[in-house]
Amino acid sequence: MSVAATEEPVRTMPPAAAQAPKTPFLRMDNVSRHFGSLKAVDGVSFEMHAGEMRAVIGPNGAGKTTFFNLISGLLPPTSGQVIFEGENITEQPIVKRVAKGIIRTFQITEILPDLSVFENIRVGVETAEKLNSKPWISRSARAAVNDRVAELMKIVNLTGKANRTVGELAHGDQRVVEVAVALSGRPRLLLLDEPTAGMGDTETDHMVDLIRRLHQDQNMSILFIEHDMDIVFGIAQHITVLDQGRVLADGTPDAISNDPKVRAAYLGSIE
Amino acid sequence: MTRLISVGVMWIILILLPWWLPMIGGYTALGSKVLIYAIATMGLNLVLGFTGGLSFGQAAYFGLGAYGAGMTLKYLALSTPLAILIGTLVGGLAATILGPLVMRRRGIYFAMITIAIGQLFYFVMVRWNNVTGGEDGLAGFGRQDIHLGPAVIPISSSGDAFYYLVLLGFTVAVAIMWVILQSPLGHTWVAIRENRRRMEFLGIRVERYVWAAFAIAGFITAFAGTLNAMLFNFTSPQDLHWILSGNFVIMIILGGMRSFFGPLIGVIIFVVAQDYLSSVTGNWMTFIGMIFVCIVLLFPRGVLGIFNRRAEAI
Amino acid sequence: MELLLFNAFNGLIQGVFYALMALGLALILSLNSVINMAHGGFLVIGAYLAYTLIPYLGFWGALIVGPVLAGVIGLIVERILIRPIYKRVDPIYSLLLTFGLALIIEDMTRTIWGPQGLPLEVPDIINSPVSEVYFFITGYRLFVMGVTAAAAIGLYLLLRYTLLGIRIRAGIRDLETTAALGVNIYKLRALNFGFGCIFAGLAGVLAAGVLGLTPPMGNSLIMPSFVAIIIGGVGSLFGAVLGGLIIGLAAGVVTTYYPAASEAVIYLMMLIVLVVRPRGLFGEEGLFE
Repeated sequence: MSVAATEEPVRTMPPAAAQAPKTPFLRMDNVSRHFGSLKAVDGVSFEMHAGEMRAVIGPNGAGKTTFFNLISGLLPPTSGQVIFEGENITEQPIVKRVAKGIIRTFQITEILPDLSVFENIRVGVETAEKLNSKPWISRSARAAVNDRVAELMKIVNLTGKANRTVGELAHGDQRVVEVAVALSGRPRLLLLDEPTAGMGDTETDHMVDLIRRLHQDQNMSILFIEHDMDIVFGIAQHITVLDQGRVLADGTPDAISNDPKVRAAYLGSIE
Repeated sequence: MTRLISVGVMWIILILLPWWLPMIGGYTALGSKVLIYAIATMGLNLVLGFTGGLSFGQAAYFGLGAYGAGMTLKYLALSTPLAILIGTLVGGLAATILGPLVMRRRGIYFAMITIAIGQLFYFVMVRWNNVTGGEDGLAGFGRQDIHLGPAVIPISSSGDAFYYLVLLGFTVAVAIMWVILQSPLGHTWVAIRENRRRMEFLGIRVERYVWAAFAIAGFITAFAGTLNAMLFNFTSPQDLHWILSGNFVIMIILGGMRSFFGPLIGVIIFVVAQDYLSSVTGNWMTFIGMIFVCIVLLFPRGVLGIFNRRAEAI
Repeated sequence: MELLLFNAFNGLIQGVFYALMALGLALILSLNSVINMAHGGFLVIGAYLAYTLIPYLGFWGALIVGPVLAGVIGLIVERILIRPIYKRVDPIYSLLLTFGLALIIEDMTRTIWGPQGLPLEVPDIINSPVSEVYFFITGYRLFVMGVTAAAAIGLYLLLRYTLLGIRIRAGIRDLETTAALGVNIYKLRALNFGFGCIFAGLAGVLAAGVLGLTPPMGNSLIMPSFVAIIIGGVGSLFGAVLGGLIIGLAAGVVTTYYPAASEAVIYLMMLIVLVVRPRGLFGEEGLFE
């Protein structure tokens, strides 16, 4: 049932080097994705451990979203391999990856605009419980679904807005709904594409708090793309820097902020 | 709660219809026709309004149901239940088998293919004339009384008795559709309509669900077709023609495609208007055409949409 | 053998009408994103106007003016009825609107010109058989093919070499970008709709010379034209023409051996194409899906 909870309890993880001996959770071997002559992702090798909170940063056009698409299965790589928990998933479609717990949110909000918050999340829950093809549902099963929806709404703090039409919510709340739908699939690896993009300060704080709680309370593995460096250095344990489709640097926040290459190529240009 | 009351009131009105409709100048068969078309359009609306597939050839399954029932009565056995069963199966299975050809398509393409498939059956019925009666239609059969143990329900001679059979069919079909739309399957359909891509990302094999909607709609429309054949003891290729398909769609839009009972409202308005117009003017087609144009330009959300914006959310 | 040739030739002529219809339909489908259910109506308008004009303009004048007037009426219809609904994303509205229009046109034609069939007189010069043996190859039928070929080539040259044509093609590829480049897409779509209707009108006049005039004559031609587009591939004008010729020919050939299936065969061909090659012979992957 609750897959997310069966992770090894790596409770108090010091931000630095404690992960070394574990088996890789997600690994990419020399993965490339070319669009014609454009090398959006070019020979990236990458490793991530279970329970890790990792940020992917890089200037616009660095290939971050393509990198996400390769992990989630939206795009097949031109070459290279994607390995999840020791299994080669390079050729697997989105559907199979979702079943394995690789679940993402999108840069552009992907919601069901005319439906309520409750209905949006309910579809996610019913999908996660593999109920979709059932043309009728028992009282107890319906109650179980509704309970789970209520639980998710509580986690993301949307209980009070359950019956609001999502299309009419504030942008920040829409993105939270999107995260709740992703959570309904009980992700083992949650991919968040710019979770705070376009949000005001309060909304951003709310989202950052939510991400932090997901990691701490449920020990969820989270990989996120983010432009806001305060957030990145505030919550990530590990940072991967992409530039022109390649990995420029990879390490702890401390190591990254002191990396001369990163400072020169990227951070310098922002600060 | 208000919904429960309004549905209850609706049923009482329908049960009393053979009593009040003739008093205002109508006739019971008109009530039967309205309910039959309501079954067909509510079935079609599972695809059109709830799953978001632009099925424009639904008359094909209506007509297949009608021919299935008519030919059963004419060639196979004098049994109303068997005619209904066979007609429903013929139309429903045709939709089920053809579903994979349309389920991958969207929008305009979905519409074109469903229209063209509908025309295939139209020409089969027109040309296979030694069995189907061709262009003249299939006649020479009649609905049979239903025997329940010692009791006999005289639907062959009594239009009112047949009306109650239709009302029973309407009730059953409505109950089935209501249960499905409240189920995870129904929720998935609506979600596909809202954002197909999103559902793919959730790991849903969207095409299968579109197929399921198309197939179920096919069975329900075919069921309506069997009743229609027995209402007139006649069916013709016009019952499969794309003009009827278009009429079904406009009835749905007229009532409101996002609401469960919207098609019923649309059918009432359309069928009554058609019945009235064809009795007062030779140019009723022009008026029907103008109704189409006006609805599209002025009331795209349908009658229920005008009165109640929230009627869309189900 | 001669019967086969006879039927095949008849089928080919029928296919020419399908091709002309499908060409106009495909133009409108591609740029206006409208399934023009009233396309058969514009065919009827072109044919009946030509019929009415023949006493004044002669056959040749009517052959040109009839279709052009159908195009002008198309422009007006586009301006008043179609343009307001471009912004509606759901194609159901344009489908229903043109469907209603088709009913109105058919009914009005019946009211104005009567429900009975009318003959369209074709000049003797082009109406006599060109061969003693193959009596069915009349000059008029060759003429129909010639005019259709000329019209198709004309459209090709227009799309390929004129500024208007290049803009239409650009609009078909990517309407938003075309608009962003400063092209008035409303004007573009209006003209394109007009062109489509001219082709319908031309098909009407030519078909009337073979089949005569009846108010529902467009109905029997529009569905096969859909099939032509699906078989040829949505988005490909060449495919639409080829699809029309193929199904006409196939229907003709089948008539020889099994006349009852002559209409059904084109729909069967469509099903086969959909199973084997869903995007049609020349269609682009993913277009309109």
